[in-house]
Amino acid sequence: MTTDSERLKWSLGRATTIGLNTFREAVRMKLFLAMTALAVCALASSFLFREFNFGSSELKFIADFGFGGMTVFGSALAVIVTAQLFYGEIEHRTAYTLLAKPLYRSEFVLGKFFGAWATVLCFMAMLALCLVFALWWRETSIMAEFPEEFVNGRRIVRYGDILGFAALQSIRIGILCAVVILFSTYATSALFSMVLGMLVWIVGQLQHVAVEAWATVDSLILKGIYALASFALPNFHLFDVGERLALGEALPGSLYGKLILYGALYGSFYLAIACISFNRREF
Amino acid sequence: MKLALSISGVTKDFRIPGSKRWVRAVDNLTLSIRENEVYGLLGPNGSGKSTTIKMALGLMKPSVGECSLFGVASDTPSARLNVGFLPEAPYFQRFLTGRELLRYFAKLAGLSRPETAKRIDALLEKVGLEDAGDRRVGGYSKGMLQRIGLAQALVGDPKLLILDEPTAGVDPVGAAEIASIIRTLKSEGKTVLLCSHLLSQVESVCDRVAIMGRGKRLLEGSIDELTLGTDSSSLQLDGASPELRESVAALAAAEGARVATRRRSLEDLFLELAKGGEGGDD
Ligand SMILES: Nc1ncnc2c1ncn2[C@@H]1O[C@H](COP(=O)(O)OP(=O)(O)O)[C@@H](O)[C@H]1O
Ligand SMILES: [Mg+2]
Repeated sequence: MTTDSERLKWSLGRATTIGLNTFREAVRMKLFLAMTALAVCALASSFLFREFNFGSSELKFIADFGFGGMTVFGSALAVIVTAQLFYGEIEHRTAYTLLAKPLYRSEFVLGKFFGAWATVLCFMAMLALCLVFALWWRETSIMAEFPEEFVNGRRIVRYGDILGFAALQSIRIGILCAVVILFSTYATSALFSMVLGMLVWIVGQLQHVAVEAWATVDSLILKGIYALASFALPNFHLFDVGERLALGEALPGSLYGKLILYGALYGSFYLAIACISFNRREF
Repeated sequence: MKLALSISGVTKDFRIPGSKRWVRAVDNLTLSIRENEVYGLLGPNGSGKSTTIKMALGLMKPSVGECSLFGVASDTPSARLNVGFLPEAPYFQRFLTGRELLRYFAKLAGLSRPETAKRIDALLEKVGLEDAGDRRVGGYSKGMLQRIGLAQALVGDPKLLILDEPTAGVDPVGAAEIASIIRTLKSEGKTVLLCSHLLSQVESVCDRVAIMGRGKRLLEGSIDELTLGTDSSSLQLDGASPELRESVAALAAAEGARVATRRRSLEDLFLELAKGGEGGDD
């Protein structure tokens, strides 16, 4: 009965508008203030190691510390911030006015995802810059103190790889944001999606252990359950490359490619289910 | 003529959480709202008005039956292209200013930038928030939220406006302003669906009303039809002496008619129906 011009088209523009507004909410909720405080604390604590003075191995220590901080704080924030920004709209009934507008619910889901992800990415960028700054500063003074440890006076920290590490963690965080969005689409409280999000984070982190156990199990049913779980849940261990970097190994370009593809597949898988689930939700 | 809103044979059941029982919020309801009509949906609390509106907007799916807006099924987003909605006790993004909120919704409605700025100023003035437009919505009073809610419903210049209790929490001056906005909309050819408890107001703006009770439509018609039913039409005697008035009354009584001194108001009718509903058919 409608003419073609009256058919609403799916619009990336509307999704972007919602995403930008989500980001603005994060800014105005003073989330960034809290995150900056966190980053500054992390930086300050890495300066504590100045006291040790154990030459270039101190740099490895700081790098390890920074990588761990990025992963842990980043993942925790991804869960909390996404639940707050997505479920918050349902909880405060602001979604209600929005969804009565001519827009697709999937535009809302995607907008919220990108807004929440961008928020956590800003934090990651901040942490990465802090880490680079701390390493550079320490490396400069260690170079002056122990010149014999630096061949031809060249720096040994590969700063490009630190940014690479941050980029890989951003993919992990994107997957986690998508998972929390999925839970939020049928949650009845923000806490529910936070707890389940944390659970996926932990299980995803330990999944490779389960995969080893799987090899020793005989029961076909158990094997099936393991297979299903390892398919449905992301393997976050794949992103734990900090160890290799700290040992001075370079990451091959193909690893970046693989992990980007992995993240894109899992992210779109969860977001697709989230859209279906959100379409069925009643307000 | 195409219907602006059509609800046919709609029933909505809610599961009571944690038990196997159901509540029937809307019971086999049929409503047709014509274009360029101001339609009032009345009924006591919990009679299913808001649930009906949510189904019409596709925010909820009916358990049975169908809803459509301008002939398009309510569960497709295209149905909402020409609709503006003010929810009951609305709540908006607290971190935005009134102006930013309208800009956000205008952007979602696909309005172009130069068009938006002018339209937002006009809307803020229309709802009486020109001085509060640059303050955060988080600091708005209940009545101000209703006003900004009305402005956001109007931002896309919709053909159909659905207002759920628009005057709740608004001062009497504001309520009169909202009534006048509704009359202007009608003169511009728009359609309005209005839920309200303030019956005197509904009476003054609505072309037709329906009264709901326990999810059912109890009555529907124009205000005149409802308040001047064929057996309760009244006669007004102007400039009559008390003697003449008495003899007319006596004559009427002799013929078996009741003589009422005033016209039955919509409020009387509402109270009667509400009492009838309480008495229960079950
Ligand atoms: N989401 C819901 N879950 C369960 N019951 C609901 C829900 N929404 C409304 N109801 C019930 O449906 C009935 C009608 O509610 P509502 O449509 O809000 O009435 P009104 O707007 O006329 O005051 C009430 O009994 C209410 O408790
Ligand atoms: Mg209501």
